[in-house]
Amino acid sequence: MSKAQHDRTHHAKKATGVGDPQCFKGEAGAARFKVGDRVRIRDMPDIFYTRCQIYTRGAVGTVTELVYESPAAEDEAWDNTDKPEWFYSVVFLQKELWPEYPDLYANDTLESEFSERWLEPA
Amino acid sequence: MSEHKAAPMVDEVSDFEVLEMAVRELAIEKGLFSAEDHRRWTEYVHTLGPLPAARLVAKAWLDPAYKELAIKDGVKASLEVGVDWINDMPTHFGTPSDYCNLRVLADTPKLKHVVVCTLCSCYPRPILGQSPEWYRTPNYRRRLVRWPRQVLGEFGLQLEPDVEIRVADSNQKTRYIVMPVRPEGTDGWSEEQLAEIVTRDCLIGVAVPKPGVKANAKRPVHPAVHPVQHDHDH
Repeated sequence: MSKAQHDRTHHAKKATGVGDPQCFKGEAGAARFKVGDRVRIRDMPDIFYTRCQIYTRGAVGTVTELVYESPAAEDEAWDNTDKPEWFYSVVFLQKELWPEYPDLYANDTLESEFSERWLEPA
Repeated sequence: MSEHKAAPMVDEVSDFEVLEMAVRELAIEKGLFSAEDHRRWTEYVHTLGPLPAARLVAKAWLDPAYKELAIKDGVKASLEVGVDWINDMPTHFGTPSDYCNLRVLADTPKLKHVVVCTLCSCYPRPILGQSPEWYRTPNYRRRLVRWPRQVLGEFGLQLEPDVEIRVADSNQKTRYIVMPVRPEGTDGWSEEQLAEIVTRDCLIGVAVPKPGVKANAKRPVHPAVHPVQHDHDH
């Protein structure tokens, strides 16, 4: 019986000459959120791998940019690249992330990226 | 008779170095890349440095249209300073960066950006070279997101309360550089002169450019309170 063959380089081949995440452009369908939307970071279980920081879970922020389309890190880590999602840059007030953040610096913010599955309308 | 042991030839090899070697050897065995690819790649990576990013900022300070392009499409703007995020890979396979989305974060007098990767040490290597060691430490990564003003203070950067500090946590596929505000006292300077004061630390966001300052400040290193004792130390 021959061994199952899996092309472990298909991802790099797809990105050659195009770039990653550029190579997933147009694969995510319609975006659920738009710039200016208020969103809450969902607190979902993350088994084995995630790139959604614990410190952002449950926090509410504002979408500042639809940055690119890509498989979510949680899928891509296992080479599941067939369902790309929109990625969003979200800005939070620091006070929203860290309740003890000093009021004197109430304008301070933090920006990070999230795939669509991690966001819900707030 | 005192117990004597020879001093080690090299510093301790970390768990991560062992892990890297194991993954590298597995990848070569599986045919993901060859040992020759790895050698060429390593050599290529060591040729990279922060100069192209400094030039990008200097150029943007002088040319409003280029500044607009840099903010809108960092990858395209990089081409003008000799960095191709998509096609310049030495192995003719894949791309020169893990990911190819560059965002240029433009500071204003009331907004100061600073970059971190809390999850690992994501860094825009094609345009900035290898990250400094402190950028990869858990100390910087954990504390910058939560106490940015204290950490910036340790770098010698004190900002007024009415300046918004925006930490960019590079947790996915975007890589960031900071475009600081052009400092006073640089009127009439050429692109080359301006690029000289845009240091790596300015591009990460832990410093701001100053006329006459062309090098990164030394980070203070404090001795550990409870240092690790090895049996070959005594």
